[in-house]
Amino acid sequence: MRLIEDRERRQRAVLNVIVLLISFIGVAKRSYVVEQTSPFENLLIDSFAPVQDSVTSFRSRVSSFFDHYLMNIGASKDNYLLKSKVKELENQIYKLSEVARENKRLKRLLQFGDEIAYKKILAQVVAWDASSDFRVIRINKGLKDGVSLQSPVITSQGLVGYIYRLTDHFADILTVLDGNNRVDGLIKRVRAHGIVEGFNNEKSIMKYVSRAEPIILGDIVMTSGLGNIYPKGINIGSVSKIERESYGITQKVEITPAVDFGRLEEVAILSSEGDEQKRREWNALDEMEDNDSAVNIGSSR
Amino acid sequence: MKGDMIRTIRPLGITLLILVVLEIISTALLPMMGFIKYRIPFNVLLVLYVGLKLETPYTSIIILILQYTHSFFSIEGWEMGTISGVLICIVIGYLKDLLHLTSNVMTVFVVQMFQFLWFTIVSILVYLKEDSLTYIVEKFWRFLPESIFLSLIAPFFISILDTIWQIREDRVLEGSI
Repeated sequence: MRLIEDRERRQRAVLNVIVLLISFIGVAKRSYVVEQTSPFENLLIDSFAPVQDSVTSFRSRVSSFFDHYLMNIGASKDNYLLKSKVKELENQIYKLSEVARENKRLKRLLQFGDEIAYKKILAQVVAWDASSDFRVIRINKGLKDGVSLQSPVITSQGLVGYIYRLTDHFADILTVLDGNNRVDGLIKRVRAHGIVEGFNNEKSIMKYVSRAEPIILGDIVMTSGLGNIYPKGINIGSVSKIERESYGITQKVEITPAVDFGRLEEVAILSSEGDEQKRREWNALDEMEDNDSAVNIGSSR
Repeated sequence: MKGDMIRTIRPLGITLLILVVLEIISTALLPMMGFIKYRIPFNVLLVLYVGLKLETPYTSIIILILQYTHSFFSIEGWEMGTISGVLICIVIGYLKDLLHLTSNVMTVFVVQMFQFLWFTIVSILVYLKEDSLTYIVEKFWRFLPESIFLSLIAPFFISILDTIWQIREDRVLEGSI
Protein backbone atom coordinates (compact mmCIF):
# COMPACT_ATOMS: atom_id res chain seq x y z
CA MET A 1 0.00 0.00 0.00
CA ARG A 2 2.75 2.38 1.05
CA LEU A 3 4.78 1.41 -2.03
CA ILE A 4 1.85 2.27 -4.33
CA GLU A 5 1.36 5.59 -2.54
CA ASP A 6 5.04 6.42 -2.93
CA ARG A 7 4.93 5.53 -6.61
CA GLU A 8 1.86 7.77 -7.11
CA ARG A 9 3.50 10.61 -5.25
CA ARG A 10 6.67 10.29 -7.34
CA GLN A 11 4.66 10.17 -10.55
CA ARG A 12 2.70 13.25 -9.50
CA ALA A 13 5.93 15.12 -8.68
CA VAL A 14 7.53 14.20 -12.02
CA LEU A 15 4.40 15.28 -13.96
CA ASN A 16 4.22 18.54 -11.97
CA VAL A 17 7.84 19.35 -12.79
CA ILE A 18 7.41 18.52 -16.50
CA VAL A 19 4.18 20.59 -16.82
CA LEU A 20 5.74 23.51 -14.90
CA LEU A 21 8.83 23.44 -17.12
CA ILE A 22 6.76 23.43 -20.33
CA SER A 23 4.61 26.27 -18.95
CA PHE A 24 7.62 28.41 -17.98
CA ILE A 25 9.08 27.98 -21.47
CA GLY A 26 5.64 28.90 -22.86
CA VAL A 27 5.47 32.07 -20.72
CA ALA A 28 8.95 33.13 -21.85
CA LYS A 29 8.02 32.57 -25.50
CA ARG A 30 4.53 34.11 -25.42
CA SER A 31 4.15 37.34 -27.36
CA TYR A 32 1.25 39.72 -26.83
CA VAL A 33 2.01 41.55 -30.08
CA VAL A 34 1.01 38.93 -32.60
CA GLU A 35 0.25 35.18 -32.50
CA GLN A 36 0.50 32.53 -35.20
CA THR A 37 -1.97 29.72 -34.58
CA SER A 38 -1.33 26.04 -35.33
CA PRO A 39 -3.75 24.10 -37.61
CA PHE A 40 -5.15 22.32 -34.50
CA GLU A 41 -5.84 25.65 -32.74
CA ASN A 42 -7.35 26.96 -35.99
CA LEU A 43 -9.71 24.02 -36.10
CA LEU A 44 -10.84 24.42 -32.49
CA ILE A 45 -11.26 28.19 -32.61
CA ASP A 46 -13.22 27.81 -35.86
CA SER A 47 -15.44 25.24 -34.10
CA PHE A 48 -16.15 27.29 -30.96
CA ALA A 49 -16.44 30.74 -32.56
CA PRO A 50 -19.61 29.95 -34.61
CA VAL A 51 -21.36 29.12 -31.32
CA GLN A 52 -20.22 32.50 -29.93
CA ASP A 53 -21.46 34.06 -33.18
CA SER A 54 -24.90 32.44 -32.91
CA VAL A 55 -25.26 33.46 -29.23
CA THR A 56 -24.41 37.06 -30.18
CA SER A 57 -26.78 37.14 -33.16
CA PHE A 58 -29.59 35.57 -31.12
CA ARG A 59 -29.18 38.29 -28.52
CA SER A 60 -29.11 40.96 -31.32
CA ARG A 61 -32.32 39.55 -32.79
CA VAL A 62 -34.07 39.66 -29.42
CA SER A 63 -32.97 43.24 -28.77
CA SER A 64 -33.87 44.23 -32.35
CA PHE A 65 -37.38 42.84 -31.76
CA PHE A 66 -37.72 45.00 -28.64
CA ASP A 67 -36.19 48.07 -30.33
CA HIS A 68 -38.17 47.90 -33.57
CA TYR A 69 -41.56 46.62 -32.51
CA LEU A 70 -42.12 47.31 -28.86
CA MET A 71 -40.28 50.61 -28.44
CA ASN A 72 -41.85 52.29 -31.47
CA ILE A 73 -43.54 55.10 -29.58
CA GLY A 74 -42.68 58.53 -30.99
CA ALA A 75 -41.35 57.11 -34.27
CA SER A 76 -43.11 59.68 -36.49
CA LYS A 77 -41.58 62.55 -34.53
CA ASP A 78 -38.14 60.97 -34.84
CA ASN A 79 -38.77 60.45 -38.54
CA TYR A 80 -39.47 64.15 -39.09
CA LEU A 81 -36.33 65.17 -37.16
CA LEU A 82 -34.17 62.64 -38.99
CA LYS A 83 -35.43 63.78 -42.39
CA SER A 84 -34.39 67.36 -41.68
CA LYS A 85 -31.01 66.09 -40.41
CA VAL A 86 -30.51 64.06 -43.63
CA LYS A 87 -31.04 67.20 -45.69
CA GLU A 88 -28.51 69.05 -43.57
CA LEU A 89 -25.98 66.22 -43.93
CA GLU A 90 -26.52 66.04 -47.69
CA ASN A 91 -25.49 69.67 -47.89
CA GLN A 92 -22.40 68.94 -45.83
CA ILE A 93 -21.49 65.96 -48.02
CA TYR A 94 -21.69 68.14 -51.09
CA LYS A 95 -19.34 70.67 -49.50
CA LEU A 96 -16.94 67.94 -48.36
CA SER A 97 -16.87 66.27 -51.76
CA GLU A 98 -15.74 69.59 -53.21
CA VAL A 99 -12.98 69.75 -50.60
CA ALA A 100 -11.97 66.15 -51.36
CA ARG A 101 -11.72 66.90 -55.07
CA GLU A 102 -9.64 69.99 -54.34
CA ASN A 103 -7.43 67.95 -51.99
CA LYS A 104 -6.85 65.34 -54.68
CA ARG A 105 -5.89 67.99 -57.23
CA LEU A 106 -3.46 69.65 -54.80
CA LYS A 107 -1.89 66.32 -53.82
CA ARG A 108 -1.34 65.44 -57.43
CA LEU A 109 0.14 68.87 -57.93
CA LEU A 110 2.57 68.34 -55.07
CA GLN A 111 3.26 64.70 -56.11
CA PHE A 112 2.59 63.66 -52.54
CA GLY A 113 3.55 60.01 -53.06
CA ASP A 114 1.46 56.99 -53.92
CA GLU A 115 -1.44 56.29 -51.63
CA ILE A 116 -1.93 52.64 -50.81
CA ALA A 117 -5.41 51.56 -51.77
CA TYR A 118 -7.02 49.68 -48.87
CA LYS A 119 -9.74 47.15 -49.33
CA LYS A 120 -12.37 47.34 -46.58
CA ILE A 121 -13.63 44.03 -45.21
CA LEU A 122 -16.72 44.42 -43.03
CA ALA A 123 -17.03 42.15 -40.01
CA GLN A 124 -19.26 41.64 -37.00
CA VAL A 125 -18.10 41.41 -33.40
CA VAL A 126 -18.95 37.94 -32.09
CA ALA A 127 -17.24 37.85 -28.69
CA TRP A 128 -14.83 39.45 -26.24
CA ASP A 129 -11.76 37.90 -24.65
CA ALA A 130 -12.44 35.47 -21.79
CA SER A 131 -10.03 37.34 -19.52
CA SER A 132 -10.77 40.89 -18.38
CA ASP A 133 -6.98 41.53 -18.44
CA PHE A 134 -7.07 41.79 -22.21
CA ARG A 135 -9.21 44.07 -24.36
CA VAL A 136 -9.54 41.76 -27.34
CA ILE A 137 -12.56 41.22 -29.55
CA ARG A 138 -13.35 38.35 -31.88
CA ILE A 139 -14.82 39.02 -35.34
CA ASN A 140 -16.45 36.73 -37.89
CA LYS A 141 -13.98 37.24 -40.75
CA GLY A 142 -10.69 35.42 -41.24
CA LEU A 143 -7.98 34.32 -43.61
CA LYS A 144 -10.47 33.02 -46.20
CA ASP A 145 -12.12 36.48 -46.37
CA GLY A 146 -8.81 38.18 -47.18
CA VAL A 147 -7.88 39.28 -43.65
CA SER A 148 -4.20 39.12 -42.74
CA LEU A 149 -2.29 39.33 -39.45
CA GLN A 150 -1.63 42.87 -38.17
CA SER A 151 -4.18 44.44 -40.55
CA PRO A 152 -5.59 47.66 -39.05
CA VAL A 153 -9.23 47.63 -37.93
CA ILE A 154 -11.42 50.75 -37.89
CA THR A 155 -15.00 51.99 -37.61
CA SER A 156 -16.54 55.18 -38.90
CA GLN A 157 -15.63 56.73 -35.52
CA GLY A 158 -11.94 55.86 -35.59
CA LEU A 159 -9.28 53.27 -34.80
CA VAL A 160 -10.22 49.95 -33.15
CA GLY A 161 -6.90 48.05 -33.23
CA TYR A 162 -5.15 45.42 -35.32
CA ILE A 163 -5.49 41.71 -36.07
CA TYR A 164 -3.61 39.76 -33.39
CA ARG A 165 -4.69 36.16 -34.04
CA LEU A 166 -6.20 34.71 -37.17
CA THR A 167 -7.96 31.52 -38.22
CA ASP A 168 -9.66 30.64 -41.50
CA HIS A 169 -13.03 32.18 -40.56
CA PHE A 170 -12.45 34.25 -37.40
CA ALA A 171 -9.93 36.78 -36.10
CA ASP A 172 -9.01 38.36 -32.75
CA ILE A 173 -8.41 42.12 -32.62
CA LEU A 174 -6.02 43.65 -30.08
CA THR A 175 -7.86 46.92 -29.40
CA VAL A 176 -6.28 50.31 -28.60
CA LEU A 177 -7.54 49.86 -25.02
CA ASP A 178 -5.14 46.94 -24.47
CA GLY A 179 -1.79 47.72 -22.85
CA ASN A 180 0.00 45.51 -25.38
CA ASN A 181 -1.17 47.63 -28.31
CA ARG A 182 1.17 50.55 -28.95
CA VAL A 183 0.37 53.05 -31.71
CA ASP A 184 2.54 55.92 -32.86
CA GLY A 185 0.17 58.87 -32.46
CA LEU A 186 0.20 62.43 -33.67
CA ILE A 187 -1.64 65.34 -32.07
CA LYS A 188 -3.45 66.93 -34.99
CA ARG A 189 -3.25 70.57 -33.92
CA VAL A 190 0.39 70.78 -32.80
CA ARG A 191 1.83 67.80 -34.76
CA ALA A 192 3.41 66.36 -31.59
CA HIS A 193 4.39 62.67 -31.63
CA GLY A 194 3.91 60.13 -28.85
CA ILE A 195 3.15 56.46 -28.24
CA VAL A 196 -0.52 55.68 -27.53
CA GLU A 197 -0.93 52.68 -25.24
CA GLY A 198 -4.03 51.02 -23.80
CA PHE A 199 -4.64 51.77 -20.12
CA ASN A 200 -8.04 50.51 -18.99
CA ASN A 201 -11.50 49.74 -20.34
CA GLU A 202 -12.22 53.34 -21.24
CA LYS A 203 -8.93 55.19 -21.68
CA SER A 204 -5.59 55.03 -23.45
CA ILE A 205 -2.49 57.01 -22.52
CA MET A 206 -0.04 58.84 -24.75
CA LYS A 207 3.55 58.51 -23.59
CA TYR A 208 6.79 60.27 -24.47
CA VAL A 209 5.19 63.57 -25.47
CA SER A 210 7.65 66.40 -24.91
CA ARG A 211 6.78 68.71 -21.98
CA ALA A 212 7.21 71.70 -24.27
CA GLU A 213 4.29 70.70 -26.53
CA PRO A 214 1.30 73.04 -25.90
CA ILE A 215 -1.34 70.32 -25.78
CA ILE A 216 -4.82 71.27 -24.58
CA LEU A 217 -7.87 69.26 -23.55
CA GLY A 218 -9.94 68.11 -26.49
CA ASP A 219 -7.02 67.94 -28.95
CA ILE A 220 -7.55 65.23 -31.56
CA VAL A 221 -5.01 62.39 -31.70
CA MET A 222 -4.55 60.45 -34.95
CA THR A 223 -2.23 57.74 -36.25
CA SER A 224 1.09 59.03 -37.56
CA GLY A 225 1.65 56.23 -40.05
CA LEU A 226 4.94 55.20 -38.40
CA GLY A 227 5.34 51.62 -37.24
CA ASN A 228 4.24 49.95 -40.47
CA ILE A 229 0.84 48.81 -39.16
CA TYR A 230 -1.63 51.71 -39.29
CA PRO A 231 -2.05 54.13 -42.19
CA LYS A 232 -1.67 57.82 -41.37
CA GLY A 233 -4.61 59.97 -40.32
CA ILE A 234 -6.97 57.54 -38.57
CA ASN A 235 -8.69 59.16 -35.59
CA ILE A 236 -7.60 57.53 -32.31
CA GLY A 237 -9.41 59.80 -29.86
CA SER A 238 -9.23 63.09 -28.02
CA VAL A 239 -7.15 64.36 -25.10
CA SER A 240 -9.14 64.11 -21.86
CA LYS A 241 -6.45 64.68 -19.20
CA ILE A 242 -2.95 66.15 -19.14
CA GLU A 243 -0.44 65.52 -16.33
CA ARG A 244 2.68 67.67 -16.20
CA GLU A 245 4.94 66.90 -13.25
CA SER A 246 7.29 69.53 -11.86
CA TYR A 247 10.18 67.37 -13.10
CA GLY A 248 10.97 65.27 -16.17
CA ILE A 249 11.02 66.01 -19.87
CA THR A 250 7.71 64.46 -20.89
CA GLN A 251 4.02 64.84 -20.03
CA LYS A 252 1.42 62.14 -19.54
CA VAL A 253 -1.61 62.55 -21.76
CA GLU A 254 -4.81 60.56 -21.25
CA ILE A 255 -6.90 59.84 -24.33
CA THR A 256 -10.55 58.95 -24.64
CA PRO A 257 -10.83 56.69 -27.71
CA ALA A 258 -13.07 57.90 -30.52
CA VAL A 259 -14.66 54.45 -30.76
CA ASP A 260 -17.34 53.54 -28.23
CA PHE A 261 -16.15 50.03 -27.40
CA GLY A 262 -19.19 49.36 -25.24
CA ARG A 263 -21.46 49.54 -28.28
CA LEU A 264 -19.14 48.08 -30.90
CA GLU A 265 -20.98 45.75 -33.26
CA GLU A 266 -19.45 46.13 -36.71
CA VAL A 267 -15.91 46.95 -37.78
CA ALA A 268 -13.98 47.33 -41.03
CA ILE A 269 -10.62 45.66 -41.62
CA LEU A 270 -8.23 47.51 -43.89
CA SER A 271 -6.47 45.04 -46.11
CA SER A 272 -4.02 45.88 -48.86
CA GLU A 273 -1.57 44.23 -51.22
CA GLY A 274 1.08 46.10 -49.27
CA ASP A 275 0.44 43.95 -46.17
CA GLU A 276 2.32 41.01 -47.65
CA GLN A 277 5.20 43.25 -48.62
CA LYS A 278 5.24 44.75 -45.10
CA ARG A 279 5.41 41.27 -43.59
CA ARG A 280 8.31 40.32 -45.84
CA GLU A 281 10.11 43.50 -44.79
CA TRP A 282 9.58 42.70 -41.09
CA ASN A 283 10.74 39.11 -41.58
CA ALA A 284 13.85 40.30 -43.40
CA LEU A 285 14.61 42.75 -40.55
CA ASP A 286 14.08 40.00 -37.94
CA GLU A 287 16.40 37.66 -39.84
CA MET A 288 19.04 40.40 -40.07
CA GLU A 289 18.73 41.01 -36.30
CA ASP A 290 19.07 37.27 -35.57
CA ASN A 291 22.15 37.01 -37.82
CA ASP A 292 23.72 40.07 -36.14
CA SER A 293 23.15 38.66 -32.65
CA ALA A 294 24.59 35.27 -33.74
CA VAL A 295 27.70 37.02 -35.12
CA ASN A 296 28.06 39.05 -31.89
CA ILE A 297 27.83 35.92 -29.73
CA GLY A 298 30.40 34.17 -31.98
CA SER A 299 32.86 37.09 -31.84
CA SER A 300 32.50 37.48 -28.04
CA ARG A 301 33.46 33.81 -27.67
CA MET B 1 -3.01 3.30 -12.51
CA LYS B 2 -4.15 2.77 -16.10
CA GLY B 3 -7.70 2.25 -14.87
CA ASP B 4 -7.46 5.47 -12.88
CA MET B 5 -6.57 7.38 -16.06
CA ILE B 6 -9.44 5.81 -18.04
CA ARG B 7 -11.88 6.70 -15.23
CA THR B 8 -10.66 10.30 -15.51
CA ILE B 9 -11.39 10.68 -19.24
CA ARG B 10 -15.23 10.73 -19.09
CA PRO B 11 -15.63 13.28 -16.27
CA LEU B 12 -12.82 15.36 -17.82
CA GLY B 13 -14.73 15.43 -21.12
CA ILE B 14 -17.90 16.64 -19.34
CA THR B 15 -15.88 19.24 -17.38
CA LEU B 16 -14.37 20.52 -20.64
CA LEU B 17 -17.85 20.77 -22.14
CA ILE B 18 -19.01 22.79 -19.11
CA LEU B 19 -15.93 25.03 -19.45
CA VAL B 20 -16.66 25.68 -23.15
CA VAL B 21 -20.32 26.55 -22.42
CA LEU B 22 -19.33 28.87 -19.57
CA GLU B 23 -16.63 30.54 -21.68
CA ILE B 24 -19.17 31.16 -24.45
CA ILE B 25 -21.57 32.73 -21.96
CA SER B 26 -18.76 34.81 -20.49
CA THR B 27 -17.34 35.99 -23.84
CA ALA B 28 -20.43 36.30 -26.04
CA LEU B 29 -23.52 36.75 -23.91
CA LEU B 30 -22.37 38.87 -20.96
CA PRO B 31 -20.41 41.50 -23.01
CA MET B 32 -23.39 41.90 -25.35
CA MET B 33 -25.52 42.63 -22.29
CA GLY B 34 -23.16 45.43 -21.28
CA PHE B 35 -20.74 43.60 -18.93
CA ILE B 36 -17.61 44.82 -20.68
CA LYS B 37 -15.38 45.64 -17.73
CA TYR B 38 -15.58 42.35 -15.86
CA ARG B 39 -15.30 38.80 -17.14
CA ILE B 40 -15.94 35.75 -14.95
CA PRO B 41 -12.87 33.47 -15.07
CA PHE B 42 -14.67 30.12 -14.78
CA ASN B 43 -11.45 28.32 -15.69
CA VAL B 44 -9.98 29.39 -12.32
CA LEU B 45 -12.86 27.76 -10.46
CA LEU B 46 -12.51 24.50 -12.41
CA VAL B 47 -8.73 24.41 -11.86
CA LEU B 48 -9.21 25.07 -8.13
CA TYR B 49 -11.72 22.22 -8.00
CA VAL B 50 -9.16 19.88 -9.57
CA GLY B 51 -6.61 20.94 -6.96
CA LEU B 52 -8.96 20.77 -3.99
CA LYS B 53 -10.89 17.60 -4.73
CA LEU B 54 -9.09 15.23 -7.08
CA GLU B 55 -6.49 12.84 -5.80
CA THR B 56 -5.06 11.56 -9.03
CA PRO B 57 -1.42 11.90 -10.08
CA TYR B 58 -2.62 13.50 -13.33
CA THR B 59 -3.85 16.77 -11.79
CA SER B 60 -1.16 18.80 -13.61
CA ILE B 61 -2.15 17.25 -16.95
CA ILE B 62 -5.86 17.95 -16.27
CA ILE B 63 -5.01 21.58 -15.38
CA LEU B 64 -2.96 21.87 -18.58
CA ILE B 65 -5.89 20.56 -20.67
CA LEU B 66 -8.38 22.93 -18.96
CA GLN B 67 -6.09 25.92 -19.46
CA TYR B 68 -5.36 24.95 -23.08
CA THR B 69 -9.12 24.89 -23.77
CA HIS B 70 -9.43 28.30 -22.07
CA SER B 71 -6.72 29.69 -24.39
CA PHE B 72 -9.07 29.32 -27.39
CA PHE B 73 -11.22 32.02 -25.82
CA SER B 74 -8.49 34.29 -24.54
CA ILE B 75 -5.17 35.58 -25.77
CA GLU B 76 -3.74 35.23 -22.26
CA GLY B 77 -2.70 31.69 -23.24
CA TRP B 78 -2.53 28.57 -21.13
CA GLU B 79 0.88 29.01 -19.53
CA MET B 80 0.35 31.39 -16.58
CA GLY B 81 -2.86 29.70 -15.46
CA THR B 82 -1.19 26.28 -15.65
CA ILE B 83 1.75 27.46 -13.52
CA SER B 84 -0.63 28.98 -10.93
CA GLY B 85 -2.84 25.89 -10.93
CA VAL B 86 0.02 23.41 -10.49
CA LEU B 87 1.67 25.51 -7.75
CA ILE B 88 -1.67 25.80 -5.94
CA CYS B 89 -2.10 22.02 -6.19
CA ILE B 90 1.33 21.60 -4.54
CA VAL B 91 0.30 24.01 -1.75
CA ILE B 92 -3.01 22.16 -1.30
CA GLY B 93 -1.02 18.90 -1.08
CA TYR B 94 0.76 20.26 1.98
CA LEU B 95 -2.39 21.71 3.56
CA LYS B 96 -4.78 18.85 2.78
CA ASP B 97 -5.20 17.83 6.43
CA LEU B 98 -6.34 21.35 7.30
CA LEU B 99 -8.77 21.85 4.41
CA HIS B 100 -12.27 20.45 4.82
CA LEU B 101 -14.95 21.80 2.51
CA THR B 102 -17.69 20.69 4.88
CA SER B 103 -19.85 23.81 4.84
CA ASN B 104 -20.74 26.43 2.22
CA VAL B 105 -19.08 29.21 4.23
CA MET B 106 -15.86 27.22 4.46
CA THR B 107 -15.95 26.50 0.69
CA VAL B 108 -16.43 30.21 -0.12
CA PHE B 109 -13.56 31.14 2.22
CA VAL B 110 -11.13 28.50 0.91
CA VAL B 111 -11.89 29.30 -2.76
CA GLN B 112 -11.39 33.03 -2.07
CA MET B 113 -8.05 32.39 -0.34
CA PHE B 114 -6.75 30.28 -3.22
CA GLN B 115 -7.93 32.89 -5.71
CA PHE B 116 -5.75 35.40 -3.86
CA LEU B 117 -2.84 32.98 -4.20
CA TRP B 118 -3.66 32.58 -7.92
CA PHE B 119 -3.68 36.38 -8.33
CA THR B 120 -0.32 36.67 -6.51
CA ILE B 121 1.38 34.03 -8.68
CA VAL B 122 0.00 35.48 -11.94
CA SER B 123 0.97 39.02 -10.83
CA ILE B 124 4.55 37.93 -10.15
CA LEU B 125 4.71 36.32 -13.59
CA VAL B 126 3.18 39.40 -15.25
CA TYR B 127 5.64 41.64 -13.41
CA LEU B 128 8.59 39.50 -14.50
CA LYS B 129 7.39 39.56 -18.10
CA GLU B 130 6.02 43.09 -18.49
CA ASP B 131 7.97 44.96 -15.78
CA SER B 132 4.86 47.00 -14.93
CA LEU B 133 3.25 47.51 -11.53
CA THR B 134 0.44 49.80 -12.71
CA TYR B 135 -1.00 46.92 -14.71
CA ILE B 136 -1.09 44.72 -11.61
CA VAL B 137 -2.79 47.42 -9.49
CA GLU B 138 -5.40 47.90 -12.22
CA LYS B 139 -5.83 44.12 -12.45
CA PHE B 140 -6.36 43.88 -8.68
CA TRP B 141 -9.45 46.14 -8.76
CA ARG B 142 -11.02 43.93 -11.40
CA PHE B 143 -9.93 40.77 -9.60
CA LEU B 144 -11.80 41.68 -6.38
CA PRO B 145 -15.41 41.63 -7.66
CA GLU B 146 -14.71 38.79 -10.11
CA SER B 147 -13.18 36.58 -7.40
CA ILE B 148 -15.92 37.34 -4.87
CA PHE B 149 -18.56 36.34 -7.42
CA LEU B 150 -16.68 33.11 -8.18
CA SER B 151 -16.33 32.29 -4.46
CA LEU B 152 -20.05 32.83 -3.90
CA ILE B 153 -21.05 30.44 -6.67
CA ALA B 154 -18.32 27.93 -5.73
CA PRO B 155 -20.48 25.73 -3.39
CA PHE B 156 -23.09 25.24 -6.13
CA PHE B 157 -20.42 24.52 -8.73
CA ILE B 158 -18.51 22.15 -6.54
CA SER B 159 -21.63 20.12 -5.84
CA ILE B 160 -22.25 19.76 -9.59
CA LEU B 161 -18.62 18.82 -10.23
CA ASP B 162 -18.72 16.34 -7.33
CA THR B 163 -21.54 14.53 -9.13
CA ILE B 164 -19.62 14.53 -12.41
CA TRP B 165 -16.38 13.30 -10.83
CA GLN B 166 -18.33 10.91 -8.53
CA ILE B 167 -16.73 12.20 -5.38
CA ARG B 168 -18.53 10.87 -2.32
CA GLU B 169 -16.23 11.59 0.57
CA ASP B 170 -14.25 14.74 1.14
CA ARG B 171 -11.42 14.95 -1.44
CA VAL B 172 -11.49 11.35 -2.61
CA LEU B 173 -12.06 10.33 -6.23
CA GLU B 174 -14.26 7.24 -6.19
CA GLY B 175 -12.33 4.10 -7.00
CA SER B 176 -8.94 5.64 -6.42
CA ILE B 177 -6.52 3.96 -4.10
